Amino acid sequence: MTCILGIDVGGTFTDFVYHDPSEDKLIVWKTLSTPSDPGKGILDGLQNQQVGGVDYLRFGTTIATNAILERNGATVAFVTTLGFKDVPFIQRGKRQSHYDINWIKSKPLVKRRHCFEIDERITPREGVYKALDENQVRKVARAIGNDQEIEAIAICLLCSYVIPDHEIRVKEIFREEIPDKPISISYDLLPKWKEHERSSTTIADAYLKPLVSENLKRLGHKLSEAKDIKRVSVIKSNGGEVSLEAAKNCPIHLSLSGPTGGVIGARQLSNLINIDHMVTLDMGGTSTDVSTVVGRTESFTTSYEIEFGIPIQIPMIDIRTMGAGGGSIAWIDKGGMLQVGPQSAGAAPGPACYDRGGELPTVTDANVVLGRINPQFFLGGNMKLSVEKAKQAVKSIAEQLGETLENTANGIVKIANNNMVGATRLVLTEKGLDPRDFTMLAFGGAGPVHISDLMQLAGTPSGIVPNHPGQFSAFGFTMTDARVDLERTAPMTSRFFNFDYANRVLSDLVAECSEALVEQGYTEKIEVLKTLEMRYFGQNHELEISFYDNEFSENAISSVWDSFHEAHKKRYNFDIPNETIELISIKVTALALTPKPQIPIIAYSDKLPSPYEKRQVFFDSGIASASVYRREELPVGKIFTGPALIEEDASVTVVSPDMPVLIDKYGNIVLGKLAAEYKNKL
Amino acid sequence: MDMINMNIIESAMIAIAKEMGINVQKTAYSTIFSEAEDFTCALANRAGELIAVADFCPSQIGGVPLLVRSMLKEIPLSEIDEGDVIVHNDPYRGGLHTPEHTVFKPIFIDGEIAAFSVCVGHFVEVGGMAPGGFPGEATEIFHEGLRVPPVKIIKKGVDVPEVWKMMLANVRTPRGNYGDMRALISGVDLGEKRLQELVKKYGKDKFNTIVKDLLDYSERRMRAEISEFPDGVYRFIDRVEDDGIEDKEYEVHVAVHVQGDEVVIDYTGSSRQAKGPINATLGVAWSAAFNAMLHLTDQSIPKNSGCFRPIRVIAPAGTVMNVNYPGSEVGGNTETHPLIVAAIFGAMVECVPDRVMASEGTTHGCFVFGGHDDYTDEPFGGFDFSYVGYGGRAFADGNDATDSINGNCANTPMEVFETRFPWIVEEYALRPNSGGAGKFRGGLSNVKQMLCTGGMLVSQMTNKHKLGAWGLVGGEEGKTGATLFKKSGSDSWETAVEAYGKVSPSKYSNIPMQPGDRVRVSAPGGGGYGQASEREKSDVLMDVKEGYISKADAIKSYPVNGSDL
Repeated sequence: MTCILGIDVGGTFTDFVYHDPSEDKLIVWKTLSTPSDPGKGILDGLQNQQVGGVDYLRFGTTIATNAILERNGATVAFVTTLGFKDVPFIQRGKRQSHYDINWIKSKPLVKRRHCFEIDERITPREGVYKALDENQVRKVARAIGNDQEIEAIAICLLCSYVIPDHEIRVKEIFREEIPDKPISISYDLLPKWKEHERSSTTIADAYLKPLVSENLKRLGHKLSEAKDIKRVSVIKSNGGEVSLEAAKNCPIHLSLSGPTGGVIGARQLSNLINIDHMVTLDMGGTSTDVSTVVGRTESFTTSYEIEFGIPIQIPMIDIRTMGAGGGSIAWIDKGGMLQVGPQSAGAAPGPACYDRGGELPTVTDANVVLGRINPQFFLGGNMKLSVEKAKQAVKSIAEQLGETLENTANGIVKIANNNMVGATRLVLTEKGLDPRDFTMLAFGGAGPVHISDLMQLAGTPSGIVPNHPGQFSAFGFTMTDARVDLERTAPMTSRFFNFDYANRVLSDLVAECSEALVEQGYTEKIEVLKTLEMRYFGQNHELEISFYDNEFSENAISSVWDSFHEAHKKRYNFDIPNETIELISIKVTALALTPKPQIPIIAYSDKLPSPYEKRQVFFDSGIASASVYRREELPVGKIFTGPALIEEDASVTVVSPDMPVLIDKYGNIVLGKLAAEYKNKL
Repeated sequence: MDMINMNIIESAMIAIAKEMGINVQKTAYSTIFSEAEDFTCALANRAGELIAVADFCPSQIGGVPLLVRSMLKEIPLSEIDEGDVIVHNDPYRGGLHTPEHTVFKPIFIDGEIAAFSVCVGHFVEVGGMAPGGFPGEATEIFHEGLRVPPVKIIKKGVDVPEVWKMMLANVRTPRGNYGDMRALISGVDLGEKRLQELVKKYGKDKFNTIVKDLLDYSERRMRAEISEFPDGVYRFIDRVEDDGIEDKEYEVHVAVHVQGDEVVIDYTGSSRQAKGPINATLGVAWSAAFNAMLHLTDQSIPKNSGCFRPIRVIAPAGTVMNVNYPGSEVGGNTETHPLIVAAIFGAMVECVPDRVMASEGTTHGCFVFGGHDDYTDEPFGGFDFSYVGYGGRAFADGNDATDSINGNCANTPMEVFETRFPWIVEEYALRPNSGGAGKFRGGLSNVKQMLCTGGMLVSQMTNKHKLGAWGLVGGEEGKTGATLFKKSGSDSWETAVEAYGKVSPSKYSNIPMQPGDRVRVSAPGGGGYGQASEREKSDVLMDVKEGYISKADAIKSYPVNGSDL
């Protein structure tokens, strides 16, 4: 019997999901967040609800994200190879957009006066080209030690991904000279070519270290005083959990912790209900996060920028955020075109219908005008919405467009949907995936409202609204595994493949990954996944090919080359037979599987779905009389069709006319093709 | 007009162009595609009008309409079949310069061409007299590389081997060029497929109506912007320092006539065309005018042929602004284009002082090299960018180390550069003091010092080694650029003129470099905006503290003294 608590610390609310196996049920609650001391919100929440003991407490955090956004991290010293201290300032030389004369180039997280150079050089072709001068390293260390401003150190030497010896030695010398300042080195974080990306990532890690480790220390301390909690872990950007102690050493891995919960929840759901591919949409008030689950696993990336030109490249779940949500404001541009967002009315003043002083029409207002959101039952009836204010706001732009109120409101929703689908498509098509193979999982307060329109627009035949769509992220955090991703650049080609070297890198990585888990106390159920980053010799971007063998042998590698040609053909529609193939990096992931809550099964019922009322709702196809249901009153396994609204406390699921829908045995709302297919299974 | 579906179709088409670009970038061989993104992906209608484009390389965007129309002049619609792919690079047929290859694919709907999918990309190696495509001493188009008129490289979905063989036999790096061509083709294939899906969703008639409305909408937006400009004629003259062949300056004359909601940009008065390759083709002269106008107006105007309608360009033939056959032209697109844009800003400072900036460095450095690499046992060719200082503005300093205004190309990371080519990079840094002083100073440029480790030929096409980037409203000139060589065993850094007897320090071809030789390429800084005496003292002190300017320069240029610093 394992009791698990998932916590999602958001900007406004902290959500809690607790699974108690003795009662086989999920308890869901929330408290106000306390941004100044994130731990307090968690402790408050623990006190607010009577739950039994906790074996696993897992939480997602925005401490690191906010420190970067608000730029309140540490003063960092950047240490690099002689001649290269301006790399973070030059960046890659690009402008954010082509025609913007107002653009101001982004500033790195380090000041130029805090950049230092070491007289050494390693090159990709020559190896150690200029040896390390340890006396000079000590001099630099002392200079940094004497600078009272500096709180953390980032070391990134050129080509350290080829030979890490200099970087590691510089770190040792710095440790001796200035033992009290935290040090981050690029080889630990991103042993991969491209000096700007590696430097920037290393600087960000150092920038976060003092603040994050202080916060986690305080929280760990408080939780150890609190009641019966056995194991506390925090969620990394790759969706894996990590002990508080290990997290302090590489805080950059927490930088996108918060939004991963929903995707982990989606992965778990895909395994539970046997759906291979999902696209997730977490739509809130100001933004929407889009991600994918492909072949029942999350999709990962290492490409992310905290702002234009300032990359952090760590393994993370590939989540794209768009500035489109319920609060996005509709407006008419100079040429008379209707536009939606990116400005948002946010939580204050909020949409016009909140009647808190907002007068501009938002997506939520449009949904109220269209009859999709029940003004009497918003947030479970805790907040009454003003239909009149919503209409007034939408009317102001309807007049400019010369359109009816309803057509305008419908246009607002359509444009918002189109913006979201654009990002959704890009997430899929960038990887060569076909939306028709996907099921859309929508959550967050606004996701269910838009799901059936988005399914049609994106071309995904089926959709799901999970239980507790408002707290789905915290639910996801109850489901995390421990995960370590490591990667090493090891360039070799199909013409010259060094088996000994490749096998050494592979076995080192496997050992390091497993050790990292063991150090955190995970000793059982460890799974190891291996992938190879490859390309045609001369290309500069790689495709990932899974490697299933335990070592590189003649046979194993020849099937790898074949898989690459096939994958290239599949992804880009062409291959170049007989071309030399280059292996760039070897990636290893170790997963320690952890206990997860069982999702309670709801018994089938003979009841028929019965709407509590009929309401006139405006759809793209015209006005229709929609049946309105309470979600908790819907029986399992009974198929019906839209137009319908399924209301619950946190949201409302809008089902467009003729779309099939049912509740599955776990309580999920299932829409479209999948619902029609369920019928056959019953 | 259906202003709701217009929004939806426009953003869907931009997403298609972006997706095309991702395919090109990920599959390309040259770092100029895969890292620098020197390519553009666009959609055009059957009349050749640009209907949507993604943000990749700006110099190519204004060129697309002329490119499609020139292609259609030689291969009429009736002769284009479904599955055909046409390639073209000829600067005398609407092209921008020889390295830029355009690939077109017709998009058929119900058996009829509805649109074109277009990818334009810069190939590093194109044959000609010097490896790397930028012979600074070319005097005719034939020196600059292989000219490819519009020809079908794929017919009805099947490769035309004759064309492939002919093209690849005339370049030094056939394997890389093959990969780059495949990358462009994969881009247009994707564009075709995606646009077909989109048109099917809305129906051909509705799609065509909305696209027509979209172009009208962009035109209306552009006219509205121009009508806010005070009417008048605004003039400026800028100079190209030399052409690589003769040590003399060439003038670029700009007269911007603003009248009501239209603009005429007249280059009359510009110097007769140069012998060397600094001449702009007609495509470049147009593209530069459009580029400048897009900077001066609201950037949310959808980028398509509609927004170019209120803009007329007069480019007298036989001048540096519209070269006559068979003049050389490769630097017109890289050097003269940004200089024209700067000159238009210089003219418009009187009209819209808050929307312009002082001159930026107006060059991409264009340092190219090639030879046989013993390390890989293959021929190689490379292109290296420099990043200039941008000009100061009425409200902010110029940005540091940024690609000149008609490109938006990323650098090749040093670690990638050293893996690919026989060079060791010894320094890659900002150039302190390179920005012109001003109330808002010019941006700093960058410097890159390299040690040669394998024999090769190097060439360059750059500018502003003699004439710095000018300031505006009393701002001072930015520091000039320089390319200096230090031969193995020598103690002195010398220009190409001193070391190799070239005419120009900034434009030259085929300098032989040997292992142990060094080259140091410094880009020009940006011009300042406003009087240096008006600069906030705290900004001057901060610049000194962070090392953007030296104490000595601060004391010389600004009202501060030693005790302040």
